[in-house]
Amino acid sequence: MDLPAQVWLQAVANGFAIGWLYVLMALGLTFMLSMMGILQLAHGEIYMIGAYIVYYLSVPWGLDLYAAVFLSMVIMAVLGLFLEKFLFRPVQGQILPPIIVSIGLTLILTSGAVVGFGLFERSIPRLAHGSFEFLGSAVPKDRIIAVVFAVALLLLVYLFLKRSRYGQAMVASAQNRESAFLRGIDPNQMSRLAFLIACALAAAGGALAGSILELTPFMGTQPLVKGVVIIVLGGMGSLLGATVGGIILGLLDGVLPVIFSPVISSVAPLIIVIIVLLVRPQGLFGHE
Amino acid sequence: MNRNRLIDISSIAALVIILFLVPVLIKNVYWVSVLALVGINILLASSLRTIKLLDHISLGHVGFTLIGAYGSALLVMKVGLPFWAALVIAGLMAGVLALALGYPFLKVKGMYFAILTLLTAETLRLVAYHWKSLTGGTYGLTHIPPPNPLTIPGVGTISFDAVHSYYYIILVVVLLSLFIIYKLEHSHVSFKWQAIRDADNLAQSVGINVAWYKMVNFAIACFFAGIAGALFAHYQHNLSADFTSRFGVWTSLYLLVYIVVGGEHKFAGPIIGTLIITLVSEFARPLGEYQPMIIGALAIFVVLLLPGGIIGLPNRFKLWYRKLLKQTRRVQGSV
Amino acid sequence: MLEIRNLDKHFGGLAAVSDLDLDVSQGEIFGLIGPNGAGKTTVLNMIGGAFFPTRGKVIFKGEDITRFPPYRRAQRGIARVFQRNVLFRSFTVMENLLAGFHLHSRKSTTEIFYKNATARNQERVEHEKTMEILKFVGLSEQTDELAINLPHGNQRALCLAVALATEPELLLLDEPLTGMNAEEIATMMGMIRALKDERGITSIVVEHNIRAVIGLCDRAVVLDYGRKIAEGSPKEVVENPEVIEAYLGAEQDAI
Repeated sequence: MDLPAQVWLQAVANGFAIGWLYVLMALGLTFMLSMMGILQLAHGEIYMIGAYIVYYLSVPWGLDLYAAVFLSMVIMAVLGLFLEKFLFRPVQGQILPPIIVSIGLTLILTSGAVVGFGLFERSIPRLAHGSFEFLGSAVPKDRIIAVVFAVALLLLVYLFLKRSRYGQAMVASAQNRESAFLRGIDPNQMSRLAFLIACALAAAGGALAGSILELTPFMGTQPLVKGVVIIVLGGMGSLLGATVGGIILGLLDGVLPVIFSPVISSVAPLIIVIIVLLVRPQGLFGHE
Repeated sequence: MNRNRLIDISSIAALVIILFLVPVLIKNVYWVSVLALVGINILLASSLRTIKLLDHISLGHVGFTLIGAYGSALLVMKVGLPFWAALVIAGLMAGVLALALGYPFLKVKGMYFAILTLLTAETLRLVAYHWKSLTGGTYGLTHIPPPNPLTIPGVGTISFDAVHSYYYIILVVVLLSLFIIYKLEHSHVSFKWQAIRDADNLAQSVGINVAWYKMVNFAIACFFAGIAGALFAHYQHNLSADFTSRFGVWTSLYLLVYIVVGGEHKFAGPIIGTLIITLVSEFARPLGEYQPMIIGALAIFVVLLLPGGIIGLPNRFKLWYRKLLKQTRRVQGSV
Repeated sequence: MLEIRNLDKHFGGLAAVSDLDLDVSQGEIFGLIGPNGAGKTTVLNMIGGAFFPTRGKVIFKGEDITRFPPYRRAQRGIARVFQRNVLFRSFTVMENLLAGFHLHSRKSTTEIFYKNATARNQERVEHEKTMEILKFVGLSEQTDELAINLPHGNQRALCLAVALATEPELLLLDEPLTGMNAEEIATMMGMIRALKDERGITSIVVEHNIRAVIGLCDRAVVLDYGRKIAEGSPKEVVENPEVIEAYLGAEQDAI
């Protein structure tokens, strides 16, 4: 463990930045899972398409990067409403059909992306150039901006949940769908909100990731798997759990490869989640 | 034997005979190899359905396929066992692992069980991917040899290097396995499984050791997954465990699509589903990148509009036809 | 036959059952009564094995079964009829009973593939036993009816029949008379009594219907807030001032 502090700092910074992106995905998955009981396996593709939209808006069309991100979030949110109404609401309440629908959706979106966007990789222009001096090492500015942006979004969501009536309704539904229904909360409205927010967040996540990493039609699968791992670890239906879980997983992903071999760093998070599921199926913060 | 049973048995016998004659009738090597792979997938889909009989969804079926594949290949290559022994032992390895994992896993609820199996399969794949000394790591396992020539007294020696011979091996093993799975599903064992599915507390109260029956179900299903894996290893001659390989998450999910499209409520459902989706994929192959889109659209179409799958179509048609007749009779009556 | 010693059950901070001692003798019909939430079903759950006590012992025929899973208790001769109509939903009446015979039908693995003469013989014997039980509960006409299609009273009778198929020595009945009209109640009470008189089956009955308890049970125990507050013959127990107070108190709370 005699690694210089710089390497550690870099690893933690990377992990922290990635962690917040994971949280954006995980939060969306949690919303959809708690409002509709559906595990939306195609959410990674929403993330991917959101990233591509930002690319096309900002590079060939020359739109301001931040405007492009905002527009992409809006577009994907609308798409989310469409998906909710026509694909997912009809199969709500069952376990297997929603999985099949989301698998089919993934196939359509991924191959659509391959056809429409092509297989070669590209990037969204960086959010910022250069790096920051922090504790004696260089932390890239764009990572910091990505984190700031992600945290800002999450704070917005948090405010919405705490302060607005709809937000409160969502929190109530997340904890107990039945009692929320009995209190007069419209489950369809909740489902719509869930998809809307989830897809907007995923688009933002994709855009942020796309400026740091590269865009490919298959970039959505890993974030999805991470998202699923997080919501299981943090507790399905727990928003706090998704946040904490995302940060933990991000840090693990940033730090473990520095210390351990590739095998262990990829397998360890999975084993941890398996153990958590067996010992405490409702996750760290979940309620059952 | 009554007349219906006689018709059923003779039609299946005819089907089996046709299947045996396929390599003779279809000279095209490509299609024979496609059918061989279809056979393996049918076994996987059918065994996955066995787990569904208990209302559990396994998203990690490929994990056990992986154990069977690598297990069988390594037993032949490193330990020197003959193919047939390796096949069975590899299956048993998968089955025993499922038995061990089953005890903690099957205690948890549906969604969690599905995720547990998914993570387990991914873990197995990652271990296989990185373990250079055992599995060749990222390069994979290559040069897996074909089974040794089989000498049947009175008939002659059959050697197994051509695709045709693989087709026959797969045909025989898959037919035998399907026979066992079919019989199981119509036996007292499956009766207990159905009872457990309906009301596991009542099942416990009448003395059924629910945990054991669930474990056995899972173990048997994963045993056949292992067998399918072993068949695949020796058919393909090389194995790799990277993300896009056969042992990745997507294959498990595809298997579910085969089952749902075919129809999860009947034994023949997964078989029909696998056949249809494979045929559609093959015919959509010239369309290149559009191929997955077509399968995706098909899956969504069936799930939204045809609950009960394609195998439920004749029934639905009958019901629809009957309703139509009733309505026309009513109109005629009032006229 | 059944002894319960120092039974405690805590759910989180709540003590559902506290320091309970019970003795049930063979061949008696034992009543477990008390106001709502007194812990009666919790006690039954611990006898049946749905969950285990926090402290204490459950001893059946001299054997400590406190930590046995339910299926092992069924093997020892304890059968349970649940509070709600728990039946095998996709099975017919006949099939429900056949499932109940699990403990007493030896089935071999080869039977999966081929049923030889012994197997077919055994099936016939099971069929006869099934018809006998169905006649006893009055469902012999509905053997091929899907269990869920039966009216409530018949479903209750079927639950009892399934429990009887396990050939039990001790029967745990959780509110067997709920939701029944006067005629059905009389029939059920008659059946429980007949089980004791004709087959020597011991029964523990959790019930709200006090009149039925008086008419049916040999002895009764009253629980309130998880504690035993009275024990004795039903008449004694019902006239006990503490018991009356407990029920009135519960009514007050409900208002």
